[in-house]
Amino acid sequence: MVTVSRYFNNVWKSFWTTMVGMRITGRYLLQKPITVQYPDERMPIPNRYRGIHYLEQEKCIDCLACARACPIDCIEMDAVRHGKELEWISFTLDYQKCMFCELCVYPCPKDCIHMGTEYAFVTYDRSEFKHDLLSYKGMSRDAKIRMVDADKKKAEKEAAKAAKPAHEEAAESAPEEGAEDAGAE
Amino acid sequence: MGFLQEKVAELGSGTNLIRELLAGAPRPELVPDWAIPLTAVFIGVGILLAIVSLCAMFGTWLERKVSGHIQCRYGPMRAGWHGWLQPLADGVKLLLKEDLIPLGADRVLFVIAPALVLSSILGAMAVMPLAPDFFFADAPMGVFLILALTSTTTIGVIMAGWASNSKWSLYGAMREAAQVVAYEIPLGVSLLVPLMVAGTFNLSEASAGQAGGFGIFGWYIWPVGFGTEGFSLGNPFMIPALVLVFVAVLAETKRAPFDLPETESELVAGFLTEYSGIRWSFFFMEEYAAMFLYCVVASFFFLGGFNSPLTWVFEDGGLLPNVFLFNVMAFVTIVVKGFLGMFVMMWVRWTLPRLRIDQVMTMGYKYLTPLSLLCVLGAGLWEWGKWMIVG
Repeated sequence: MVTVSRYFNNVWKSFWTTMVGMRITGRYLLQKPITVQYPDERMPIPNRYRGIHYLEQEKCIDCLACARACPIDCIEMDAVRHGKELEWISFTLDYQKCMFCELCVYPCPKDCIHMGTEYAFVTYDRSEFKHDLLSYKGMSRDAKIRMVDADKKKAEKEAAKAAKPAHEEAAESAPEEGAEDAGAE
Repeated sequence: MGFLQEKVAELGSGTNLIRELLAGAPRPELVPDWAIPLTAVFIGVGILLAIVSLCAMFGTWLERKVSGHIQCRYGPMRAGWHGWLQPLADGVKLLLKEDLIPLGADRVLFVIAPALVLSSILGAMAVMPLAPDFFFADAPMGVFLILALTSTTTIGVIMAGWASNSKWSLYGAMREAAQVVAYEIPLGVSLLVPLMVAGTFNLSEASAGQAGGFGIFGWYIWPVGFGTEGFSLGNPFMIPALVLVFVAVLAETKRAPFDLPETESELVAGFLTEYSGIRWSFFFMEEYAAMFLYCVVASFFFLGGFNSPLTWVFEDGGLLPNVFLFNVMAFVTIVVKGFLGMFVMMWVRWTLPRLRIDQVMTMGYKYLTPLSLLCVLGAGLWEWGKWMIVG
């Protein structure tokens, strides 16, 4: 009798547990999927995520602090100085080496290099992993204008300097000529 | 050709209908006598093939969507709206794949096996009536014919396993054989219960017996039914019989948790290991078509067959009697019922883990077989008692 009751108990249990399981999977079936359609929509990324860097090139002063801070020396930069303005040649980060430690971000005196939220970096060739962070090469338009203005001021000053001894030595006409020249430029 | 004509003339109304349509050709005197029935047969076979492949296409799509959503993901989403064209893309891929036959394989058997598997399910499909007035073979012993033809797929599977000349395939084939032997008995025996209630082996007759009651309450599954003759006492053993049939069908169609012949993790897809491309897809077409067929057969004997509120509206003496719409709705009804059954099978598949082979055997021999025999005994006594008392 015990065997018979155990037998039917087994039958009932297997039926019942299947029903319980199907209730659970049925609930999952009706719930909204938690995955997202990746390239079209993306999961929200935390603000402090350390992804591909981005550089505020306008602010950067080519001080090499980040490159020196980098423990694996993957940052290289090259720029030509024109007075206070910079003519950018390259600012590369080798993502084959970079370990996304964020140590390059802290020493920056101008707070111009940041870790971005972009994580997908795919290339067809290894060499392309040496990623250029510059948004433009050479000088920006503003920098050029500033440089021209600075040159102008410099020229004015030099002209003024040059005019002073002339004024002391020569007669009244010299400063007028110098002012006219500066205005024409 | 006289013999062929006679044979063809014996076929069901489906081919007759096609034949009548063909007879209305613009110049009938140019068409030889034997051509029309032969063409009708070919068109009929084409329709069956289309049903089998559409079953497989929609079935694979449904399977992937159901499994995806049960696991909280989307499943195919790219090809068409919610990936409904995915099976088409899969089909193109399978057609273009390299057709590999292993070096040590028995080439003849290897090539025959998928065709045998598919042809047996095609034959079984012919017995299934598509609508009350459209069927191909109105076999008086319909259920037994379907059971016999679907179990011949096992021969194809064993052939495939043997011919592949691979350990995994052979293991898969032997497991399939053991499983089918174990579960054919409870399936056949528990199907006797509705046969006793319906009093017929024919599918369309069984469906006609469940008419009335708004298309729902006349079904054989209800312990108390409300059919064309008012209230009637049903058979309480129908519900356990349906559960038994369902479990046995799961095992027959090699569906999880009984997918021992094609365990991906242990046997690397079992008898399918060495197959590729379109031959491989034949096995899958058979699997999904068999699922659909079994679900439709179960719905014919338990869940009303053609009867649903849809058909009840258009049937004779209903709200809007219309023969054509009645037939269309009957077709829609069995398709919907078949796919609902398939959906439950998928639901079970993604709920339960796979059994061990000894557990499968225990389930078959120690549980399903005695229980189905008990069910038949109970149902028989019940029907006898009803006959004795009610008359």
